[in-house]
Amino acid sequence: MKLGIESYCRITNEKVIVNDKTIAITCEQSWLTDIYHSAKISYPKFFKMDNLAKSGFLGSELALQPLEFDKNTIKEDIAVVCCNRSSSLDDDTSYQKTIQNNDDYYPSPAVFVYTLANIVTGEISIRNKTMGESAFYVMEQFNPQKFCSFAESAFLDSNIQACICGWVEYYNENCDVLFTYITRNSKNNKELNIDTIHTLYNL
Amino acid sequence: MEELILELKKEIIEVLNLEEITPEDIDTDAPLFGEGLGLDSIDALELMMLMQKNYGIKVDNSEKGKEIFKSIRVMAEFISNNRTK
Amino acid sequence: MIYQVGHTIISPLGFSSEENYRAVKSGKTNIRLHENEFGLPEAFMGSIIENDLLDNEFSKINHSNFRYTKFEKMAILSIYNALQTTGIQANDHSVQFVLSTTKGNVHLLENLDGFESDRIHLWKSAQLIAEFFGNKNEVTIISNACISGAAAQITVLRLLQSENIQTVIVVGADMLSKFIVSGFQSFKALAPELCKPYDKNRVGLNLGEAAATIIYSKTNDTVPANSIELVCGAMANDANHISGPSRTGAGLYLAIKKAMQSIQPEQIAFVNAHGTATAYNDDMESLALTSAGLQNRPVNSLKAYFGHTLGAAGVLETIISSLAIIDNTALKTNNLQERGTVAPINSLMQNQTCTEDYFMKVLSGFGGSNAALLFRKTR
Repeated sequence: MKLGIESYCRITNEKVIVNDKTIAITCEQSWLTDIYHSAKISYPKFFKMDNLAKSGFLGSELALQPLEFDKNTIKEDIAVVCCNRSSSLDDDTSYQKTIQNNDDYYPSPAVFVYTLANIVTGEISIRNKTMGESAFYVMEQFNPQKFCSFAESAFLDSNIQACICGWVEYYNENCDVLFTYITRNSKNNKELNIDTIHTLYNL
Repeated sequence: MEELILELKKEIIEVLNLEEITPEDIDTDAPLFGEGLGLDSIDALELMMLMQKNYGIKVDNSEKGKEIFKSIRVMAEFISNNRTK
Repeated sequence: MIYQVGHTIISPLGFSSEENYRAVKSGKTNIRLHENEFGLPEAFMGSIIENDLLDNEFSKINHSNFRYTKFEKMAILSIYNALQTTGIQANDHSVQFVLSTTKGNVHLLENLDGFESDRIHLWKSAQLIAEFFGNKNEVTIISNACISGAAAQITVLRLLQSENIQTVIVVGADMLSKFIVSGFQSFKALAPELCKPYDKNRVGLNLGEAAATIIYSKTNDTVPANSIELVCGAMANDANHISGPSRTGAGLYLAIKKAMQSIQPEQIAFVNAHGTATAYNDDMESLALTSAGLQNRPVNSLKAYFGHTLGAAGVLETIISSLAIIDNTALKTNNLQERGTVAPINSLMQNQTCTEDYFMKVLSGFGGSNAALLFRKTR
């Protein structure tokens, strides 16, 4: 099994890079909304997502865009794996505000639903019609070795041919995203390994 | 009533994050759920919360919700008859 | 072979697996009405571990002055008890921890209660739990909503493929708080009474607190009779909706199909399903089980004993099912009075004898995630 990275996207608060090219973002509203518009995506559900899901959605969209990825047919052989440091704490904090005071107690279901970190893997699976496994892991820091092992572990299911694998962190207005599209028996010369992931993260 | 209808449309756009929709785009008599706005079960729950927060009306079950959220006009009529704030 | 060498459940029904199993077998539950709990304006039906009982048990094993949260105490105590009689040194570098939780210490968002702010992070709790046992390997943390405990056991299978790892300690834990209960209330997902999985008149779920630990080791030798082997596991996504169960059960069916590759339905003693007692979940499961040809196999849900224990559910329910199959028993679905799912399934209304060697554990949850695990009792 030779796993290769077919495409990737890196997003931080300052830049968006897709396959070594910096993408120009027109700044008008918030950073994530600006990326959405600059990438000419049309998906109204985006605006219902919390910042973590938005970050993961954009990271995966931009990584898949150059591949002209088929979003219309159901694919049982593609997995979605994500990991981060702060779980869903950004949205947890928003939800806490809706219940903090009993005088102003209106728990919001639309906010609560995003207080599960793996919802982002669900959003990506829905968007791309992927029915392979979806998993969410948490670790203290971005760790290229762990990133690789999470991606590799999805391929231990022998049915899986490809994996949308991303680091997706959003907390305290800090956005830090690396998404990759990894395939089994890749013909691409960008092999999935610790050095490659380290390099892409530090672009 | 027309005032309440416009107010409701604005509130719905805001709480449901219907970013690319304006009040004029929402047909007062069209079904809120099913087609058109693409609303789902979480949106329905959020609308129940809106009824409580903005108008002091407690909608406890989704069957009742389905009746009230038939259209903006039905919703507005229900609110004007039952509001406590 | 990957098999269980020890386990423990910490729940309101007891602080050992056996105590919990005995309570379940005799039809007990500690799900009851909680009023004015956590400062919530609305009462709820739930299963909560009494703080005094937990603190008392925990003080017997914690000899430092370090303060732990309830979530951490539950997790540590369950690991500690599971390790007894196994002879495993948890600080060995060939031992790896896996933590399954949905919300960890999220209750600290309301009030830090003297803890440092990083204590809200799952990795911080995970570190403290591993440190308690002197284990220096980085804990694998899985947060996959309701299927976390099954996903964590799939992680166990994969970790044990590595030469360096001999033993994996998987702990699932979640505590209840204003945060979690209010959220489920806002979803109108909670039943005002004891939940009724697969019942015609089911109206929603109950929440419960628990921590559960299973210790898995691998061996090439034969293991003693009545050991439980973790044969395989698989996950699949519905790609349908982030909170609503699939209307077809296609995702769960896909997971079950993968997990059943090596066996036939007749070899399965029972399916321990998710059975939350929400209208849509139970219907969805009935469709998936039927697609997989399991509509005639005995099915149970343990939710009316423990409530939905979130990140602990997959581990806890695996332990109860493991003890049941060793006891040649397929447990009933507590509080099921009249079956009523969209596809008819054989959800048990009484405990009954079973003789087959395999059981299946399935879970589904938010994010459209589904998981199926296959276990075998050794002869």
